[in-house]
Amino acid sequence: MASAVLRIEDVSVKRGRLFTLEHISLSLTAGRTLAVVGESGAGKSTLIAAVLGLVRPASGTISWNNAPVHHCRPALVMQEPRAGFNPALSIRQTVMEPVVASGKPISADILEQLCGQLELPVDLLNRRPGEISIGQAQRASIIRALIAAPPLILFDEPLSALDAVTQKQTAQLIAELQKAYGFAALIVTHDLGYAAAYGDEIAVLRAGRIEEVTSPREFVSAPGTNYGCQLRDAAIELGALEQTV
Amino acid sequence: MTLSVSNLCVERAGCTLLHPTSLTIQPRERIGLVGESGSGKSTLGHALVDALRGQNVRVAHVPQSPDEALDPLRSMSYHWREAERALQCTPDRQRQQQLFRALQIHQGNLRKRPWGWSRGMQQRFVIAMALIGSPQLLVLDEPTSALDPVVAARTMNLLDSVLEQNQTSMFLITHDMGLAAKRVTRLLVMDAGRIAEDAPCSSLLQAPVTPAAKALTRHRTWPAPC
Amino acid sequence: MINIVLGLLLRTAVVLTGTAVATFTLLWLAPGDPALAVAMARYDSIVSTEIIDLVRAEAGFDAGFWPAFRAWVFPLLSGDFGRSAVTGRPVLPDLLSAIAYTVPLALAGLAIGLLISLPLAIIATRNPGGLLDRFAVAIASLGTAIPAYWLGLLLILLFAVKLAWLPAMGTRTPLHILLPALTLGLGVAASLTRIIRSGILEARTQSFLPAFKRRGVIDSTIGKDHIAPHAAIPVITVLGLELAFLLEGAVMVEVIFSRPGLGSFLVNAVEARDFPQVQAVVIVAALLFVTINLLIDLIYRVIDPRIGESNA
Repeated sequence: MASAVLRIEDVSVKRGRLFTLEHISLSLTAGRTLAVVGESGAGKSTLIAAVLGLVRPASGTISWNNAPVHHCRPALVMQEPRAGFNPALSIRQTVMEPVVASGKPISADILEQLCGQLELPVDLLNRRPGEISIGQAQRASIIRALIAAPPLILFDEPLSALDAVTQKQTAQLIAELQKAYGFAALIVTHDLGYAAAYGDEIAVLRAGRIEEVTSPREFVSAPGTNYGCQLRDAAIELGALEQTV
Repeated sequence: MTLSVSNLCVERAGCTLLHPTSLTIQPRERIGLVGESGSGKSTLGHALVDALRGQNVRVAHVPQSPDEALDPLRSMSYHWREAERALQCTPDRQRQQQLFRALQIHQGNLRKRPWGWSRGMQQRFVIAMALIGSPQLLVLDEPTSALDPVVAARTMNLLDSVLEQNQTSMFLITHDMGLAAKRVTRLLVMDAGRIAEDAPCSSLLQAPVTPAAKALTRHRTWPAPC
Repeated sequence: MINIVLGLLLRTAVVLTGTAVATFTLLWLAPGDPALAVAMARYDSIVSTEIIDLVRAEAGFDAGFWPAFRAWVFPLLSGDFGRSAVTGRPVLPDLLSAIAYTVPLALAGLAIGLLISLPLAIIATRNPGGLLDRFAVAIASLGTAIPAYWLGLLLILLFAVKLAWLPAMGTRTPLHILLPALTLGLGVAASLTRIIRSGILEARTQSFLPAFKRRGVIDSTIGKDHIAPHAAIPVITVLGLELAFLLEGAVMVEVIFSRPGLGSFLVNAVEARDFPQVQAVVIVAALLFVTINLLIDLIYRVIDPRIGESNA
């Protein structure tokens, strides 16, 4: 049985006269994680917007399972958790939005089950976004991403707003959930330590182009490009990566 | 000169954000204050700076983000002049150029407003401004969180050499134990408004005692790729 | 920069065109026979139908909408405002002399408004929520609710009648401008006080202010160089709007104090269906408004060049 695949084929995105993404080709299989790393301005958020269908590529196609990608209704987990929550609605209402939007009902205990897996007390669902911590808000975002069981989830710097300890815990949770639910994960991050620890593949994005795509092991020991080396060395300097001899 | 503060305490709206804390800082010492978000690190940083200024010690504070240090309506040169005046320093072009070169911002156009510079350059400018009066202590609050890793690494390295040259002590506040461990010789662990543990870097990393220190140490780097 | 100015000028042109068409159409469609109104105003008595028809042909009311519109707009584009339908005199000189009365009054009113509101707002914000602050806000709210004609009459009663300190009506001496300016100024002060106050309070919440204090910058410098410019931005908007309103003729104040000016010029023209004069006033008023807005936009960009950028 062939697994579903996300194919980004020769995608270019323009903004005015400038190319924010040029000739991007990537693939991602269900159940696997692709980490896209790069500096701000490299085009990481544009890539996510393109996969979500928020920007139309000037050329190239993005498909999931050989159909246009928006058919599979990919979900998104954003950098700033509270930005995705309507402050006037309860957490429960916002989390249930994808279900309401898709029109497909879900069984009542899926929400409870997800809360348990993400270690979020159920009574938190009745609170407003301003009344819970950032770590809890991010876990609620993840619940919302999972609730309609999409085959593809996009993560735009999911850990940047969290503190170091919470980052590690949340990253672990995401990995465990991926094993349980089998979704494909495209994670955009500037944290190389995270990318190397949890990615099955690392794609380096620079100024709208893919510099290299390698396995985490290779990337940590011997990146293929100068820029890759710069990124890796910086991560070591900042204590995010252990120095490998 | 050894710096020392005692009984720093901060209460707001009936809640104690910082329990009475005392601290001694040796000359040219590099100290890291690490803790979860909400543990009171920034509060201690502010209280420390305010207390030392009250003792007429030359101390400077670099906030987490350049947005918290620069006025978007004023040019960079205005900020520099104002800082010089505030410290009652005579305008010293040479010192300015020296600091700018050390922090690699000498190419920047000083007539621009802050948002005309990249965030990395803004942050390094704020650091340079902090060093105008040759302070004895520089307090940095999450200096890398608003920056990309490559820029952050470069900034921290440049900072190291500048502090070395000026013989300034450093007080680095961060939630990231991994970052602190690379840059400091003494670690303070903050938990719920108190300093829970205070030990030389290597001993704390090898044998943390308190639960807070253990959690931070355990999670200080990412697991290696498998 | 050129692009920005050109864009603003284009907006100006669109607004003026729309105003011209709208005014003309509304006057044309207004109930009643314009020829009759003009004839009555001209001869100051009931007139026969032949004379009305004569007036109609003379004023061009019988030609139809578009010919009449064209006959008015084209000379206008070269600065010719035409002649009054009532008096036959050229409109422009009378209009300009009316403006010459209104402009000093408007500026005086604005100045008095600022003189009252600025200190009041600064004192009020010394202790936000305190007694003085709440008092100032209450007075300001009261001021916006009080109509100018009531206030004007009250001031006349007090200063001109009871105390006999100031003259009440007319424009004979420079002193005559004080009471009407005060009436206008108190109204302006009401809205300005609240804007300045909220501008200052909001400017105080800027996230970088504590850092400046920690750097050793003294409070007065912080207030002057970092709080005031930021607070000025909303204040300038309101100032501009108030000035535009005042310039277009605070009609009631001019009528109460028997002052000639743009306001009474307009009222008389409308009553007499004097098309050329009405249209002249409206166009000039629109021009003034648009110019003031343009100036405000440019001032904004000097203070904070990010305003108006698409990626601010």
